[in-house]
Amino acid sequence: MKIKFSGVTKVFKPDIVALKDVHLEIAKGEFVYVVGATGSGKSTLLRMITREVLPTKGSVSVGDTNLRKMRPSDIPYYRRDVGLVAQDFKLIPHLTVLENVSFVMEAMSVPSKMVEYRANKVIEQVGLWRRRFMRPPQLSGGEQQRVAIARALANSPSLFVADEPTGNLDFRTSADVMKILLAINAAGVTVVMTTHNQYIVDSYRQRVIELNSGRVVRDEHSGRYTPDDDV
Amino acid sequence: MTTFSYILRDTGRLLVRHWFLGILTLITAAVMMWILGITTLFSLNIQNLLQKLESELVVQAYVKKGSEVGKIAETIRAMEAVTSLTALSPEETLTKLQARMGSQSHALDLIGENPLPWNFEIRVKNAVEVPHLVRTLMAMPEIEDVVYAGMVVERVAAISRVASKAAVAMFALSIMITSLVVYNTIHISLYSRREEIAIMFLVGATRSYISTPFVLEGTFLALLGSIIAVAGITSAYFPGIRLLQQSLPFLSLVGDLRTIGQFGVLLVGFGATLGWVCSCIVVTRFMNSTTRPL
Repeated sequence: MKIKFSGVTKVFKPDIVALKDVHLEIAKGEFVYVVGATGSGKSTLLRMITREVLPTKGSVSVGDTNLRKMRPSDIPYYRRDVGLVAQDFKLIPHLTVLENVSFVMEAMSVPSKMVEYRANKVIEQVGLWRRRFMRPPQLSGGEQQRVAIARALANSPSLFVADEPTGNLDFRTSADVMKILLAINAAGVTVVMTTHNQYIVDSYRQRVIELNSGRVVRDEHSGRYTPDDDV
Repeated sequence: MTTFSYILRDTGRLLVRHWFLGILTLITAAVMMWILGITTLFSLNIQNLLQKLESELVVQAYVKKGSEVGKIAETIRAMEAVTSLTALSPEETLTKLQARMGSQSHALDLIGENPLPWNFEIRVKNAVEVPHLVRTLMAMPEIEDVVYAGMVVERVAAISRVASKAAVAMFALSIMITSLVVYNTIHISLYSRREEIAIMFLVGATRSYISTPFVLEGTFLALLGSIIAVAGITSAYFPGIRLLQQSLPFLSLVGDLRTIGQFGVLLVGFGATLGWVCSCIVVTRFMNSTTRPL
């Protein structure tokens, strides 16, 4: 899915400018890193794609849809096509791995047999087959992140949004997560990922969009992680 | 059907997960619905008694001699408060009086000519309307005198007013408390799952898919509370009225199985509706605040 930001400005009350006049286009099937210091507007940019945040000025379009003009009743159907992975995993602690992955499909009224088949398939894909009956608190950070990826994959999304997916993970686990994300991208899924991880960006070279105080200061294909003022 | 089964499963999970809070809500709803039911039954019985008393209330109006009885009777019948009017001729009145006096009725023979005038036995709809009717009758030039059980009428009217107000107050209080308890339970349930709800919204669950288990939880608790209340009411009410009627057989109480059965069904329906409305309100408010984009 193609993503287009046209002159997007976001001001949070009372007077915090999160994004300022952002213009950018992400083509279908691209892999994009969004980098920048803490508070530079990376998460706001991603939350605009998931329509959790609306721009104060300008517009965000995903595919042919202007997200501002989207009817509230259409939002769930749009989100089913956007796989979301967050730094804090956003898993439901009292549900097992299998249940965490399944409930996304259940919300779409997918028949239970199909849910079971598909959930098991994506769990296997992220290498957690043996852990499928465990609950998130019983898993390591890397495993929890892989559950989140499996959940995001469950609906076969055409857009994958990852907010610092390796933020809480060690070096090796981050590399495992990256391999999964690159495999997802190789299947034609657009991936937008925010990160602070220089090793990841420099090792798996892709397009890099750098934000600074809400502005796009760098947009480089096959770029490196070189923010001067990263915290 | 698939969605429905998932929703039912989630409702079950909610009830199990908040079992202690659920039991508290159930007990409170049952107690409040029991109070509501007992108050309504008490009020129904008072109304029944008052209606019986009122139906037996008779205003006696004596007509002046030489007046046109038929015309006056028509005028009085047309009054809103009047349910029925029986015109008694002097002869009929005398016969009634003789019957009432029994063995002493021969005393009436001493009077000679029948001195009694035409009179009307007037029955009214409500005891409250009697004083006004009496004043209207007294103002009519054709009416000689009006006789009625003044104190009884006024007391019956006063009891009727107080009983109605007390019943309305208890009714309102019970509804308020039940609503608040159901509202709070569902709110706590929603609050404890706020992160889960936020995740569900993010991954594309619809509002109705997320909301329905909470609405069903509230409705189920209120419904079950009402059923327990009705069971409590019926098990206490029938022995209670049997006991009352043994010691005070002249009391006319609402006690037939059909009426109480209908009342029970109404109470259960009312309880479930109350639970459903409260849950819908709290869920809608919560969902509105959760889904509003920043």
